[in-house]
Amino acid sequence: MSGDHIHPEPTSFLRKYIFSTDHKVIAKQFMWLGFVWLMVGGTMAMMIRWQLAYPGKPFPLLGNILYPRSGGVIPPDGYNTLFTMHGTIMIFLGLTPLLIGAFGNFCIPLMIGARDMIFPTLNMLSFWTVVIGAGVAFYSLFVPLGAAEGGWTAYPTLSSNVGTPGHGETLWAIAVFFIGASSIMGGINYITTVVRLRAPGMTWGRLPLTIWGLLFTAALNVLFLPVIGSAMILMVLDRQFGTSFYVPATMAQGGGGDPILYQHLFWIFGHPEVYILILPAWGIISDILSFFARKPAFAYKVTVGAMAAVTVLSAVVYGHHMFVTGMTAMLGESFMLLTMIISVPGEILFFNWLHTLWRGNLRFTTPMLFSMGVIFVFGLGGLTGIYLATISTDIYLHDTYFVVGHFHLTMAASSLFGAFAGTYFWFPKMFGKMLSERLGKLHFWATIIPLTIVFCTMFFSGYGGMPRRYYDHTDNPYTNELQWLNVITSVAAFVLGTAQLIFAWNVIKTVAVGRQAAQNPWEVGTLEWTVPSPPPHHNFDTLPLVTTGPHEFSNPAIKDGRDWIYQTEPLAT
Amino acid sequence: MVPTRSRRTALAALGALAALALTPAAQAADRWKPNPPASSYGPMFDNLFALITLLIGVSFAIMLVVLLIPVVRDRARPGHKAKFDHGNSLHDKRFTAIVSVTVFFVLDASVLVIAMQDLREGFWNIPKPDTPDVLQVEVLAQQWAWNFRTPGADGTFGTPDDVVTINELTVPEGRPVVVNEASKDVIHSFYIPDMRIKRDANPGAINEIWFEPVKSGDFDILCAELCGYAHYQMHGKLHVLPAAEYDTWLGEASRIAQAGYDASDTEARWAWEFKGVAGR
Amino acid sequence: MTLPTENARRRVDVALGMAIFIGSWSMAFLTLFLSFLIIRHRQPVWPPAGVTLPSLPIAAAGTAVLLASSLVLGSAVKRLRTGAPGFAARWATGLLLAVAFAALQTWLWTGVWSAGAGPDSSMYAGLFYMLTWFHAAHVACGLIALLWVQWAAAAGRVTAQRRSTAASAATFWHFVDAVWLVLFVGFFLV
Repeated sequence: MSGDHIHPEPTSFLRKYIFSTDHKVIAKQFMWLGFVWLMVGGTMAMMIRWQLAYPGKPFPLLGNILYPRSGGVIPPDGYNTLFTMHGTIMIFLGLTPLLIGAFGNFCIPLMIGARDMIFPTLNMLSFWTVVIGAGVAFYSLFVPLGAAEGGWTAYPTLSSNVGTPGHGETLWAIAVFFIGASSIMGGINYITTVVRLRAPGMTWGRLPLTIWGLLFTAALNVLFLPVIGSAMILMVLDRQFGTSFYVPATMAQGGGGDPILYQHLFWIFGHPEVYILILPAWGIISDILSFFARKPAFAYKVTVGAMAAVTVLSAVVYGHHMFVTGMTAMLGESFMLLTMIISVPGEILFFNWLHTLWRGNLRFTTPMLFSMGVIFVFGLGGLTGIYLATISTDIYLHDTYFVVGHFHLTMAASSLFGAFAGTYFWFPKMFGKMLSERLGKLHFWATIIPLTIVFCTMFFSGYGGMPRRYYDHTDNPYTNELQWLNVITSVAAFVLGTAQLIFAWNVIKTVAVGRQAAQNPWEVGTLEWTVPSPPPHHNFDTLPLVTTGPHEFSNPAIKDGRDWIYQTEPLAT
Repeated sequence: MVPTRSRRTALAALGALAALALTPAAQAADRWKPNPPASSYGPMFDNLFALITLLIGVSFAIMLVVLLIPVVRDRARPGHKAKFDHGNSLHDKRFTAIVSVTVFFVLDASVLVIAMQDLREGFWNIPKPDTPDVLQVEVLAQQWAWNFRTPGADGTFGTPDDVVTINELTVPEGRPVVVNEASKDVIHSFYIPDMRIKRDANPGAINEIWFEPVKSGDFDILCAELCGYAHYQMHGKLHVLPAAEYDTWLGEASRIAQAGYDASDTEARWAWEFKGVAGR
Repeated sequence: MTLPTENARRRVDVALGMAIFIGSWSMAFLTLFLSFLIIRHRQPVWPPAGVTLPSLPIAAAGTAVLLASSLVLGSAVKRLRTGAPGFAARWATGLLLAVAFAALQTWLWTGVWSAGAGPDSSMYAGLFYMLTWFHAAHVACGLIALLWVQWAAAAGRVTAQRRSTAASAATFWHFVDAVWLVLFVGFFLV
């Protein structure tokens, strides 16, 4: 191998920690960015839940600072801003940086046996582009008339100047554009790195499943983020330059635009985005389940194929978000059929995960618990998707809390659990310190129980007919009858939110005074565990020669009493 | 170790806090499911919902059992070894293929077939305009109200006796109601949970839906698409009257409409150009 | 100062990265172009009566100039690769033609703008500005890249052994060229 990807270890603070091109530093930058924004987005969720359970009561502690004019009560426009920014922040600034930015950057070079990303400067630019996007989003919270209020989907004409005057919505579109650009840069880097920089012997069949998940996500990022970027350009032109691409002739002079066009563009991106978030989590847990079941990942090739099938199908099912906007019956039924078909690869992944655990030797570490948590919450969320894929039941359930419960379980909770599993698993490698397992397990149970209550209660409110994005469900008699469910959801949500402090405490304490991690504390064989914790600047002193697959656990050919083997060790035959 | 006494106190305090927080819930545990359907095709939703619930309930239960068996049986302990198996044998592949095809047909395909049938016979089976008995209604949504227009006693739109109402729609029981909807400003969504009906009201285009009330009474109309500041306050009432009562009501309403008709007030005649909105 | 030379492997890396980027960014143009077609399809008459039409001759001249610049740059890169002389002169010519295209585009806009047709004047004008502005943003990026290579070549840092940057800049410019051809045919001719 040539040494052309070696760059000298930087010495200045600025080059080492701020404008670093080292994938491990960039991974940590993405991770902290993700954690900070998850906290902001989570606080917003708490405020939303407060208003829903106790409408018109001042929000404790923060209320008087944020809403002094209403005496601490969240006003209706403030509420709309809250759920809009909660969605945007959680998806684009919380989960994306964490799952794709942090684990993508950290795992790809280390797990394929490379010294860094193939384009380190592009990698750095990718992080700082997302910082620009985050900055714009943050700034938009303080402009007159407030930040975006059109929901994270920002349907025109509500998101046009008619529906939301002021600069909040424009800044929102610009922020999404920058964040999208960052993901595209990352995607180009990830794909090229995996294709070109695999260590000798790291064949496609020996790639850890984490890398496969990240690779498919990168492909979706590269293909579909440009679509939302263009949709945002049209929106900004409409808002700032007086065009009317999304504004129909009935509303504007010289008009003749089409608000439904935006919905198509948005969901062409928006549905793959769901898989952009979940595929890395699937990849991570497919590996972790095998690692801690001490058993090979069941049907590796089938798992990869199922993820590939989901990736391809994700591009052609987006219409199920628009069953009630007024599409033709033909189109609606086609999208319903395609959506049903995408459940097949999903089922196959479940079989493989369950089969991996079957007759294993299960070690219930925190990463393992969170991975099994993904099976549980994704099972709940995925199965309830059938109600929404079916048009005749979706008509009633569309835009109710049923949908909120469904996508939080699938996209939000599953991805978050995957991210937690990854964090507990790779933290010792990233920081050289072990997170407390005791606190980790407490965190798991304190998260999964209230989380299940929160989103399952939402299924009931949605089934009862409670529309989402209402400021106050007590305002009309119909939803007022369901208000008691809101209270239960909110109380569980507060417990869920508080439980995350355990995690924050665990991370802070470990970084400050945690005990030194061993090189391979989990006894697994992938390449990142062949180097010290944390790895040196160039990861590998000599590039590894890979001889074995990632999941050769309990292989009878291993004779020295271990039940695992490094990917660099040959299996005795 | 935390002393038992203070732990007990802490638990009691937590319990009291939870009880306090949940009081509003306990006070008004009204309803957790929809009211019984009030439209002709409403039961289709309830039946299919029940079927899906049964199917996924069984699937989820099976999944949990298969997840819990290894959790109990295969936990790591000294002397216990995992079974080495890559799952690549033909037998494994066949098993996966058979199970996934079975699940697809039992879970997805059956639901799909029923749903298509329901759509064709119910939800999307919009009566033709010349069907006798059909009542045409026009809905113009705006921030934050519903404008309704029903033809007056003469049965045709665009005459001075058209009945125009805000947030109150009156229809007869047992007759199909075809709703043409559009929006003045942003996207709204016309939602009558008890009729199991919902459709977006878009600016610049007309959406057509229908329902046939089979019960008289008052039903809530909600807006289901975020439409701005007072989205949550955008609600109305649907009054379903028995046929005879409806005729009486319509006669009187048309008379009032005709008496108050002002030819110069073009704003009040929005529905007269309604059909022209999308070039129909 | 001795410069590190890139090896053949690195050139493939860069070419692959560039190919993925262009594949990706084509989706952005495709989205805008399809949006244009959909909105255009909704208009009863096209072009609508009474709108200021951008000058077809200027646009056609621009297209010819842009095509020429792309061809010249392609030939420059070929010479760089084969080691034949004449890279610098060809690159400079290509750059000049690229600047000429930008100038012609500016002329095209001023013609419409001075007739009082801003982006808010009609849907036609809105689509025209949307497509050409977005393309122009790429022309600007392309010009910076071409200039950068010109400057690096003058400093002797572009050689047959170090040609990835020049090749990538030229590839990007071909992309800008190809996109313009689609826009030109779609907007002006059909």
